[in-house]
Amino acid sequence: MNTLTQFANTEAPSGDVFSALGINWMTLIFQIVAFLLLVWLLGKFVYPWLIKSVDERQEKIAAGTKAAAEAQAAAVAAEARIEKLLKKARVEAADIVATAKLESASALAASEEKAKKRADQIVADAKADIEKEVIGAKKALHNETLELVALATTNVTSKLVDGASNEALIADALKAVK
Amino acid sequence: MNTFGALDLHISIAAQEVFAIGPFPVTNAMLTGIAGLIITIAILFYVGGKVKKGRYNRFVGLIQWVFEGLLKSIDDVIPDRVLARKITPLAVTIFFFVLFSYWLSVLPGLETITVGGVPILRSLTADLNFTLGLAIITIVTVQMYAIKHLGILGNAKGYFRNPIRDPIGAFEGALELIGEISRGTALALRLFGNAFAGEVLLIVIAALTSYFATVALPFFMGFELFIGFIQAYVFFVLTLIFTALAVSHGDHSESSSDHSLAKPKKAKLAG
Repeated sequence: MNTLTQFANTEAPSGDVFSALGINWMTLIFQIVAFLLLVWLLGKFVYPWLIKSVDERQEKIAAGTKAAAEAQAAAVAAEARIEKLLKKARVEAADIVATAKLESASALAASEEKAKKRADQIVADAKADIEKEVIGAKKALHNETLELVALATTNVTSKLVDGASNEALIADALKAVK
Repeated sequence: MNTFGALDLHISIAAQEVFAIGPFPVTNAMLTGIAGLIITIAILFYVGGKVKKGRYNRFVGLIQWVFEGLLKSIDDVIPDRVLARKITPLAVTIFFFVLFSYWLSVLPGLETITVGGVPILRSLTADLNFTLGLAIITIVTVQMYAIKHLGILGNAKGYFRNPIRDPIGAFEGALELIGEISRGTALALRLFGNAFAGEVLLIVIAALTSYFATVALPFFMGFELFIGFIQAYVFFVLTLIFTALAVSHGDHSESSSDHSLAKPKKAKLAG
């Protein structure tokens, strides 16, 4: 109760409601003018610099964000490009490998064919050489045989026939051999 | 031990005259207000100077951070950037000056330092002359921007409409007019009420806790600092909302005759 009495008695309203609330027109006008002066003063000399610095910072942040977004977009594009290139390279590599395999197989087949041909040629040449040598040897053996026959005939006949009949015999023998 | 009732508490709704210069009364709230003014000017000029020179420190960073937050709030509430920049000095000054003035109310010696029996310290925000002056400035400035934005007739259309052709619109206009007056009054009384109640609270707590006041008061002082910030921000935001409402009421009164559509938008902004 004392509390209530205390507050109730603190300030008895005197006069009109404005003066009871402490409103004094001179003070009110003075404070309005003082505050407007403060607004003008700060608006003229302080806020422009603060606004400028905030704007600059926001511009920097916006530019940074934009650059980051651009960099991210570029990175994504580069990644896509790289992926595309890799895909293309993989396809090309697969093509190259397939072509190489094909070419190596055909080269192998060609070289095998060539080698076979060469081997056949060598074999054929060897056969021809052997045949030639056989023929030569046969010829030489024939001649030698003839000479031996002639010599033997001469040796046999020299004691039986004269020179003229000997030669005739030889000639006949040769004719018979031929 | 003293009882509360026996304490000589001095609580006055009106700021008290310390001395007079001719017919002009110099009140305790004005003296504290001058201190608040000097503090506001000193801090903001110091920060402005440092920012201008590009020399930053933690304190400058803190004030600049607060300033940036306020600027962002202004841009959020007022979409028109030109108007937002025009209202910035008033709105930001209201915030800082109310904040510093309110915070001065937690200075020790609020009730105990007296000159001729009159307490020398009293927060300017606990003086109805100041809060009413601030509300008048806000309402007048808002109306000026509204007139600039919509024209004299365009702005007047928001309040005065032909009751025969558009009775609902006329009623709404009358409500808008009453709303403008009540907004200003509420703006002044809200800040005054909070600041005055805060001072009374501190005085009462100091009286009730007696020797334990040194332990109890800091909690309430911290609470008052928080309330001071809230009140400064509320005044700041309401200034912006009133400006946004004033420059937009012409738009929806012209574009829409459906009043049920216009009202929720306003209610949303005001809420």
